[in-house]
Amino acid sequence: MRVDTTTEIGTGAGAEIRPFTPEGTPTINTDLVQRLGGFTTLCEGLDYAAQGQTGMNFYGPRGQLDESVTYRQLRKRAIAAAHQLVNAGIKPGERVGVVAETGAEFMVVFFGCQYAGMVPCPLPYSMYIGGRESYVTRIAGMLESAHATAVVTTADLDELVRDAAGRAGIKRVLSHEQLAGFSSEGPALQPFGPEDISYIQYSSGSTSNPKGVLISQKSACANTMAILRHGLKIRPTDRAFSWLPLYHDMGLVGFCLSPMMGQVSVDYLATPAFARRPALWLKLMSQNQCTVAYGPSFGYDLAARRANGSLSELKLDQWRVAGIGGDMVRADVLKLFSETLGVAGFKSKAFLPSYGMAESTLGVCFVDADEEIRVDVIDRTAMKEYGVAEVSSETDPELVRSFVVCGRPLPAHKMRVVNITGKELGDREIGCIEIAGPSLMSGYFRNDAATSAIMRDDGFMDTGDMGYWLDGEIVITGRAKDMILHNGRNIWPQDIEWSVEKLAAVRDGDVAAFAVEGSHGEDCVCVLVQCRLRKDDEIESVRKAVKAQISRTIGIEAQVVMVPPKSLPFTSSGKLSRSGAKTMFGNGDIVEIVSDFKTIDNAMSVAAE
Amino acid sequence: MTDDEQEIFDKLSELLQPFNEKQVELKPQTEIAVDLAIDSVSVMDFVMEVEDHFDMDIPLNVLSDTHTMKDLISVVQARKKT
Repeated sequence: MRVDTTTEIGTGAGAEIRPFTPEGTPTINTDLVQRLGGFTTLCEGLDYAAQGQTGMNFYGPRGQLDESVTYRQLRKRAIAAAHQLVNAGIKPGERVGVVAETGAEFMVVFFGCQYAGMVPCPLPYSMYIGGRESYVTRIAGMLESAHATAVVTTADLDELVRDAAGRAGIKRVLSHEQLAGFSSEGPALQPFGPEDISYIQYSSGSTSNPKGVLISQKSACANTMAILRHGLKIRPTDRAFSWLPLYHDMGLVGFCLSPMMGQVSVDYLATPAFARRPALWLKLMSQNQCTVAYGPSFGYDLAARRANGSLSELKLDQWRVAGIGGDMVRADVLKLFSETLGVAGFKSKAFLPSYGMAESTLGVCFVDADEEIRVDVIDRTAMKEYGVAEVSSETDPELVRSFVVCGRPLPAHKMRVVNITGKELGDREIGCIEIAGPSLMSGYFRNDAATSAIMRDDGFMDTGDMGYWLDGEIVITGRAKDMILHNGRNIWPQDIEWSVEKLAAVRDGDVAAFAVEGSHGEDCVCVLVQCRLRKDDEIESVRKAVKAQISRTIGIEAQVVMVPPKSLPFTSSGKLSRSGAKTMFGNGDIVEIVSDFKTIDNAMSVAAE
Repeated sequence: MTDDEQEIFDKLSELLQPFNEKQVELKPQTEIAVDLAIDSVSVMDFVMEVEDHFDMDIPLNVLSDTHTMKDLISVVQARKKT
């Protein structure tokens, strides 16, 4: 059964038309009724959006409008690209890696694949200074895991992607220009049907063991519909803004697929441009009167701290949905943001905390739009010792933890909180979060072991996250056991350990990486390294090499602690116990190595004082 | 270093100062991200300052091979000419 939630343009309840024309594509379609999802394939959704005038607008690093593409133009270009992909020798069902830069070219190839029945795998478009080797390794791992037969790349990363494709044994590497060289005509295309798959998302898994999340047409359509209708409650007057990377689920599903399935215009700023000038986010949202945007807490923090100049000249009172997802929602950051941007008319009730993951396409839980965020303050000891979320009136962060409530599951989606025996838990009992429903992935691509490790017999999936129920809403207390969330990025400790173990002075099994909580509840990265050396300067040089290696390969600063040999705990099967190492380090059972000379140095420096 | 290189080095050092929290002494062979231990966000801030000052764009693929101050001097020199 299909339900149409249609709204008459301009006459819908609460539809307020501002006397204002945005740059780029219009906010409102004048001759097409807004339909919030309910399509059976992504192609059907784009076909519908193509009947209007809305579309996508891409802003450059200095805030200039670089390119504007209506959904109509995008559809035309995507169909041409579909023929080009076929004529390039790629067959239906094959996987195509696509470097996901924020621009029309990526969209054209992604949807070209949909019309040609090929499976696009968006690939990271990101770089830090001196990060060539780690980028190439990461891309090669993804291409290998996807068994891709071709890659389409931007011109600037062409050489790096060719290097990666070479390592993965893939011969067909095409720049957008080369792809455009193939004929855009041919026999009838075989687009994906409602029972087919749609794309593979690589925001899950570590570099050393990437896992491709396989999303079907059904899941993509179900999740985008639920997001549009129930998560964000989209209206005809809405206009979206996004600086999120398109190789992540929040960027791809939240701000490419969802707006398109709802015929909403989107203004894009590429992630590196946002990172360089966070204030552009606010300026462009004000300029185009955008109403919906999303980001991790980290993004709001960056924007609030770096918002500069005349904030009072900005006009942000129209900002209806300021969604937060992708990391632990931090109330202190949201407070700073709304205090800083209040002068521009920003209202704190626009904040919309949510919970989701690529394994469920994107969205799982949303707070009611139009409600103030709710913070639950609980007792630390009760949480740690008894697994209960006991309300506390204390304010000392040593005694309590504050969590932002993340809302209810989307309609037709199920969620339960269970203990280790699988028993369902009630309000304020902390357990593992399991989910089911139409948005679940089909599985990890060609990785049955990883898929069956998280799928339950009754169709529920273990998210790996911990939380508790509170009046029908979910509160997340910790994300996937080992994963480190650092500045909005998911970092796998395995990647850090793997990279450090490559150093000559370090052996396999010598390294344990984990997150420790910083003073604001943020994740800081701590790395324990077993060291057999005894001299101070030698130990220091290894420490320096480890820090440098982490900085070079992962791009973060970590606290590196050199510990004596045989101090890291291992499980009976010989696997490193990260949580064990973290607990022992926290308790003081593992301590920094004491060199033969340091004690003397310390004694001398004490004596000198 | 030539005069031109020295001039760019001095300017880069000046732009880098706010990010050099540990006051590491800057030399041409200093590895920017590694020796200064600055995170990826701050590195992008610094790159933005460099781009703005020299009025140029430094593409990602070029950035990926830039490790030391000397590398960055060459990047600035090369892109100033174009």
